[in-house]
Amino acid sequence: MRRGLIAWSKAELPESVFDARLARLRAQMATQNLDAILVYTNNNRTAGVSWLTAFVPYWAEGLLVVPRNGDPLLTMAFSNRIVGWGKEVSRVARFEGGARPGQAAGKYLVEIKAKTVGVADFDGLRQQVAADMAEAAPNATFVDATAEFRRARVQADPAEIALATKAGGIAHHALAQIPGRVATIGEALGLVESAARLAGAEEIYLAAAPDLAKSTAFARVEGTASAGDAFAVRATLAYKGSWVRVTRTVDTAPDAQAMHDQAVEIFAASVASLPRGDGFGRFDSWAVEGCRVAQPLEALMGSRMTDPVALAAGSLVTAQGVIEIDGRRIALAAPALIGADGFPSGILVQPDFGPR
Amino acid sequence: MLAEDRRHRLREAMAQSGIEALVVYGNAWQADYLRYVADFSMLEGHGLALLAPDGSTELYVDSIAEAERAESETAGLKIILAPDIAHAVAGRLDRIANHRIAAAPLGFLPKFLADAARGYNLEDGTKFVDRFLMVKMPAEIDALRRAAKLADDGYQVFLKAAIPGRMQFELIADIETFFRQQGCPDNFMIVGSGGQDVHAMAPPSERRIKAGDMVTTELTPAYRGYFAQICRTMVVGKPTQAQRDAHAVYREAMEAGIAMVKPGVTAADVARAENDVFRKYGLGDYVTSKYTRVRGHGLGLFVDTKPHILEDVDTVLEAGMCMIIHPNTYHPAVGYMVLGDSIVVTETGAEVLTGTKRDLFEA
Repeated sequence: MRRGLIAWSKAELPESVFDARLARLRAQMATQNLDAILVYTNNNRTAGVSWLTAFVPYWAEGLLVVPRNGDPLLTMAFSNRIVGWGKEVSRVARFEGGARPGQAAGKYLVEIKAKTVGVADFDGLRQQVAADMAEAAPNATFVDATAEFRRARVQADPAEIALATKAGGIAHHALAQIPGRVATIGEALGLVESAARLAGAEEIYLAAAPDLAKSTAFARVEGTASAGDAFAVRATLAYKGSWVRVTRTVDTAPDAQAMHDQAVEIFAASVASLPRGDGFGRFDSWAVEGCRVAQPLEALMGSRMTDPVALAAGSLVTAQGVIEIDGRRIALAAPALIGADGFPSGILVQPDFGPR
Repeated sequence: MLAEDRRHRLREAMAQSGIEALVVYGNAWQADYLRYVADFSMLEGHGLALLAPDGSTELYVDSIAEAERAESETAGLKIILAPDIAHAVAGRLDRIANHRIAAAPLGFLPKFLADAARGYNLEDGTKFVDRFLMVKMPAEIDALRRAAKLADDGYQVFLKAAIPGRMQFELIADIETFFRQQGCPDNFMIVGSGGQDVHAMAPPSERRIKAGDMVTTELTPAYRGYFAQICRTMVVGKPTQAQRDAHAVYREAMEAGIAMVKPGVTAADVARAENDVFRKYGLGDYVTSKYTRVRGHGLGLFVDTKPHILEDVDTVLEAGMCMIIHPNTYHPAVGYMVLGDSIVVTETGAEVLTGTKRDLFEA
């Protein structure tokens, strides 16, 4: 809930981008004869609504109603005193505040005479919101439209790729502020936090593996934690609705840089093996995450995944892994683009921080 | 161990009420129910925990990063990575469908999980858990004291950060950096800057601070998951007489609210004490929902927990409840102004947790 700057950048997300995305969604709606589609948003399921409107909720939940024909409505659970802010930071035809987004969305469905209404991630929708909208629009039939939304959403457009690259660049810049030696992990995290937020990050979740010799598990650090000779910091960062993870390993050993360079090479080759992912065999653990509906970094494939998700050509993902080279552990993460149209999968922002 | 003590309280109550399994939901905003049971605060995705009468606890998360973090940050829990979390937990509940199962907060559960068509029955356990969230144990109040100290210290950073020419989000950067350096991983804050054009605090924008602005904020840092809050207003430059006069009303209202706090009174009594001050000065319109949301609210594992301090909330205050009393609202002469202190209800009244002066600050 520690949001930073939330603002709609018309330079980075011109209105034409949203028009094109709405058109893609409406084309999918037409295939199922849906009169409207609903997309839920809250503090942690931001990415569906932000993709269509630029709006990122700070604390409240809401519903976006996209009619097949007519104006979209975004209804958020906050007072009318905040609606002005909401309109300022979003691009949507109608923006309303109110206590119960489900009820407001239902009323709008009645107003536009929608009969068959698709809901993205219907099973995951908050129960009370689902009940409210069903009560307010008793004649509408609600159906799951996750597949339709995914088909519209999954292939990244140039604006989205640019934002992910910028988000990755901000995370890289922030992580680069960590000096070779720090007394505490808090010192390192403070430097990263400051640089990221001053660069306009919307959010940054920081996690650290304070001593890679002991554990490669990342945790949110509370209180004081001393830094080992080798530690890693992972920045999960959002910029204008685009989420990435970038990880930096800091190692004071004299030969650490050469090993890190080698790890980055292996990581790049492994990312190039996506969507298959068979190049990650050298990694002790690895994961690929990305957005398909509303959760910014959904689990897709990796060493912990028993039921991996097929990665779509042209989709944005974040790849991460931990590798051991000559007894030293190196953690890496970076945003990547899955190959399409003859181009191989590749890293958008290299997790290479150069010599210290 | 605080986490074990919390689970122990719940288990005793479950035994008394015949509840055989408790399901709690959490996400990055509504984190309290899950944190109470699993001692884990979600950042990404959904989290669901299942508490059994013997204290064994399963934590389901749908994010790889959260699964890894939960394994590192919690002890004694079974962590399950379940990308399709609603179906995974529903499958788990199917196996105990003959048990009496309560869920909290029921309305937050994924629809599939809460659907009446499932083979198990979920009772609404929200009120059952709410009592424990509201009435704190001494160790929980100690954590809130630590959080209140962070809030006080953070406000001193804020006073230095709010200088003409800086943008609102740059102030936030300074505060969040300070909290990070203190080992505080979570904070909620909103800001406002300007004058009569400002009707509320909002997320930080690119608006620049300028001379003469009233700059408002509420800082809500957490210690071990417990959030304490402070609300203060500063003026960039010398406050005008109108700003001073307005601030005196807010201070009188906040202090009237705090003076009303004691076991046995209701949240409505506290709200009324605050609002009567505004009405006394002919500002009664500005304590309505058109201009303000609440006159305070509970604090704990969620920044905006129960009870809400409003004239229509009849929750009876008890010793051990923690809350902020803040008569924040729009003032027609000067704009949106805030003032609030975190308190804990004691046997005899209120102990104020935050220690920052109740002044209209100058910068």
